[in-house]
Amino acid sequence: MRMRMRLKAAAAAVLCLHCLGVYLFTRGFLLTRTELSAFSLPSDLLQAQASCCSELPSTTNQDQDLPGWTPPTVERVLILIVDALRFDFVAPSSLFQKKQKWMDRLPSLQHLASTHPSSSRIFKAIADPPTTSLQRLKALTTGGLPTFIDVGNSFAAPAIQEDNWIHQLVHTGRRVVMMGDDTWTQLFPHHFNHSYPYPSFNVKDLHTVDNGVAQHLVPWLHRQDWDVLIGHFLGVDHAGHIFGVDSQPMVQKLEQINAILQNVTDIMNSQKHLENTMLIVMGDHAQTLNGDHGGGTSEEVETCLFAWMPRSLPSSISSIFHPSTCGLGLNGKNICTSTMQQLDFAVSISALLGIPFPFGSIGRVNPELYALSPGSWDRQWLPASFYEDPSSDLKMWKNNYAHVLCINSWQVKRYIDSYSATSVMGFPSDDLHYITKLYNEAQSRWSDSKNRSCKPENGTIDEFSDFLLSFATLARSAWTEFDMKLMGVGLGIFIISIIFHLFVFERVQSLSNVYDNKTQKSSNHLQIYVAFLLVAVRAVSFLSNSYILAEGRVANFLLATTAIGSIRSSLVYGKIKKHDLVFLILIILIRFGIEKGMSKQAATNPFLNYDSGSDFDLKWLPSLFEGHDFVTLLPEISPMIILFLLSFLSCKYVTSTVHSRCIKWVVTVGTMLSYLFIATFWLSERSFAPKMVYVIGLSLFVLNFVLRYLGILEKGETVQRLRSLALVMVSAWSPTILILLGKQGPFVVLVCIIAGWSIISSKNKGLLDDCKMDPISVMQWSLLAICLFYQTGHWCTFDGLRYGAAFIGFDEFKVVRQAILLFVDTFGISHILPIFSLPFLVTIPNSSSSKGRDKTVIFLNLTQVYLLYGLITAITTTFTVLCVAIQRRHLMVWGLFAPKYVFDAISLLLTDVLICVSALYYC
Amino acid sequence: MRKAEIGATTALAVHSLCAAGLATGYWLSHSLYSSSLITDPAPTLRILTVCEAPVVILLFSWLRRDHDRCSFIKAVARGLIGLPIGALINAFGAIVLGAPVGLKFWPATIYWSMLLSLFTFVPAACVFGASKLDWQQILSYSKPSNIVDYMLSVPAHGAIIGAWLGAWPMPLDWERPWQEWPICVTYGAIAGHLIGMLFSPVLIFLHRRHIRTKTE
Repeated sequence: MRMRMRLKAAAAAVLCLHCLGVYLFTRGFLLTRTELSAFSLPSDLLQAQASCCSELPSTTNQDQDLPGWTPPTVERVLILIVDALRFDFVAPSSLFQKKQKWMDRLPSLQHLASTHPSSSRIFKAIADPPTTSLQRLKALTTGGLPTFIDVGNSFAAPAIQEDNWIHQLVHTGRRVVMMGDDTWTQLFPHHFNHSYPYPSFNVKDLHTVDNGVAQHLVPWLHRQDWDVLIGHFLGVDHAGHIFGVDSQPMVQKLEQINAILQNVTDIMNSQKHLENTMLIVMGDHAQTLNGDHGGGTSEEVETCLFAWMPRSLPSSISSIFHPSTCGLGLNGKNICTSTMQQLDFAVSISALLGIPFPFGSIGRVNPELYALSPGSWDRQWLPASFYEDPSSDLKMWKNNYAHVLCINSWQVKRYIDSYSATSVMGFPSDDLHYITKLYNEAQSRWSDSKNRSCKPENGTIDEFSDFLLSFATLARSAWTEFDMKLMGVGLGIFIISIIFHLFVFERVQSLSNVYDNKTQKSSNHLQIYVAFLLVAVRAVSFLSNSYILAEGRVANFLLATTAIGSIRSSLVYGKIKKHDLVFLILIILIRFGIEKGMSKQAATNPFLNYDSGSDFDLKWLPSLFEGHDFVTLLPEISPMIILFLLSFLSCKYVTSTVHSRCIKWVVTVGTMLSYLFIATFWLSERSFAPKMVYVIGLSLFVLNFVLRYLGILEKGETVQRLRSLALVMVSAWSPTILILLGKQGPFVVLVCIIAGWSIISSKNKGLLDDCKMDPISVMQWSLLAICLFYQTGHWCTFDGLRYGAAFIGFDEFKVVRQAILLFVDTFGISHILPIFSLPFLVTIPNSSSSKGRDKTVIFLNLTQVYLLYGLITAITTTFTVLCVAIQRRHLMVWGLFAPKYVFDAISLLLTDVLICVSALYYC
Repeated sequence: MRKAEIGATTALAVHSLCAAGLATGYWLSHSLYSSSLITDPAPTLRILTVCEAPVVILLFSWLRRDHDRCSFIKAVARGLIGLPIGALINAFGAIVLGAPVGLKFWPATIYWSMLLSLFTFVPAACVFGASKLDWQQILSYSKPSNIVDYMLSVPAHGAIIGAWLGAWPMPLDWERPWQEWPICVTYGAIAGHLIGMLFSPVLIFLHRRHIRTKTE
């Protein structure tokens, strides 16, 4: 009895320590940028002018109650956001190596760009990671750099607390209309005059949002009671998620968007009140060819921004444009594109609309975007007497732009100062000093020229730009403020928990040695060292980003090593058994699964240099069987056959192992029904079937605990009882996990069962006592779990989650329900099943020595197995934490190390919780 | 009779001849065909195998265990049969551990496994034939009674461990040509094998001194 308490107490203590460690480290590592709550006010203009120019803007409406900082240069802005708009959707295909199916599908924009080169422009807009919609919308409106931790908030978007241009618009009395993605109304609950939100999370739905926008857009264009209209299309993003970029639905979607845009530009050309309206068509982020986004790869960040004004502009505009890449458009005319930072969007649009720049914006007013508006060419600041030469449009524009940049720089400098004052850890003082120096130089030059009656010199624009760009670079590199103290304490707690774990493990080990024959002690110790050596090899490998990417293969390599080692020892002690060979072949199968998953990942992840064409070309294999019907039928039929086999197996083992008749009946019927429902679902796609599977799984799980505490499962011998408990538990979980895994499910579960059987039967060769704990087997169990995680097509980044699994059985999105399904899919086969089935390792069927064994010894062994399993997970996770802390300035820290840390931390806590549940259930 | 005569110096001589075989192969491929392991692994591995095979088979057939019942020719035949069998086992092991299976890797894999078979399987096949007890003994080295055991087991284990360690740089993103299968694994195997060959005379020497002190 004391023994049983020990596992529970130890597991609970370890769980608490790990929770504390994860909490502290996460607080230190995934820290959010300090959000300043200050807002820019129109009256701040006076301060800005004190440092920029003493003259008041000549054309600003001084009589207005709430004037802006700069004179408005456009009357209205129409922003059409196409979610996940890739640059190559808009830019002419001649800019790219090869024309693809999805290119040149938005000819209406290309036509404008080629026929109106001075009033329209295609920009390659570089977004900052994380490239998820919520973060991007936040960045687009605030002009800041949302940090990693916000990814977690993405499912329930909170209202934006920072200053942003929507807020400024509303404050200066402009009317904002929004239609499309409902994330906007979550971010800005009280800002829009009119809003037409549509649900954004149902990925399968390609049309509701787009049709909704199209329906409301045209009537609103004919109305005059708006200043800014935002339309957010989601279809392209959803089509990418479901079908990928290279697909017919994507092409259709782009054609639909093109038709809408054509209609919009026609209306804008014909309507008088829209003459001074800027049309901006932009993506919030881009997407990979698989339709994924979230990371910082060029495919994901290179989105597009297209801007156009119906009013024509001075032709000298082209001299403002930077040297750009040009290519031939569809109509044979030249189209040029520029590059801009998405960070600059917020402040640029504020300057165009003449509203105060958002307080926390760190962007620069983009010269090319600013130059597109005719207002920026008007005489603004200069006293009329000064400019005698009205023909010099360009000089005029440069003067205006220099003024805007000066205010822009003043605003950013103010943000830097107040950020350094309020934030605990500001920017590094050297960099700050450098930035301040740049600002002062630009400022003094500006004042010099100002003293010569407000005539800016050419250099000032460059100097202000230099200051703003340097600060943006600094902010990007240094914004992730790691709190080293908290990280250190968190890491320390991890290490303490490992020491505690080791101590408890050692105590149990010595206790079991008391019960056991002394002679086996040395042998067991050797195996423990080997197991820990393997853990150490795996753990140290996390220091390199390459091994994190190849983690599945590394785990497979180590698993294969243990299998070969066990073959070697069976050679030494006698003959090779068949389960050894079966295990080797299974490892090869698992390996192919992992490589398939990796090639899928390589398509989205450029960090992963994985040549799927050369390494995993089994293309010759199907060609051998070409022309046979069964090749096409095989992928359809084989899951069904394996499913049937599985149900037969589970039925057989449940009936032969579980002794209590009523339990046997309930479990058998439950699992049979579940498998029947799974088959129904695959054949007919009825959504009630998965729901029934979940219900049966949950009720069996609850029933187990109830029966366990009523004492109905207490009958029989200890080994027998433990085995039937474990079997009932696994049967309760496996159908749910299986259906979530999809068609690969039966195959994976079969592999899992056979591999488990091989590990159990190959354990403890040469040792007489079959039921003694074998550290190598536990290690193999844990490696197998990792392999299964990767084999089922998961990997440790957020685009590695199989979002489709969350919608099996449900069409609409509810946060909690879908999150639970996604969680079970992600960790089911790699954590829930392996940990609940650990008791099989100490209860081998039909072994002679297991009969009549002392109850205490069995529970000692079970305790050892669970402690060791927990210890292995804890050590690897601690090393992940350590490696993440060491690599915190690594290029891929957000792309690779941080997601790996999040996954490992979650899986560690889950392992601890599952061990606690197992301790409650089994002991 | 001859068994007892084998000492550390004989072992060293045999091993240096094996190493010389390898060196010859490397030199041949380098000077005659101007191919190196990195640029074209498969032909180089073929040359290495061709040069190493006669040396290993002849030397270890001379060291065969059962001199009375087994002629030199028979031992050579055992070695020749052992070569493909060992290659098959090594290739299977490599694929289990994650070697690529694409068609274009087949020649390299085949020659690599031949070479590894020469390092590991063939010497033992020449010396023992199919004697199960001897095989078990050499694998477990529970009774290191025999000096030939050291000569077989230490370099073979060295080659395997070297190849295992040689696989580790493969996933790294350094984008060097030698990270391709089977180049770094071959380097690892050869290095491990050479270290094992250096190490085995030392062990033999220590073993003999141990026995001598025991008898004294």
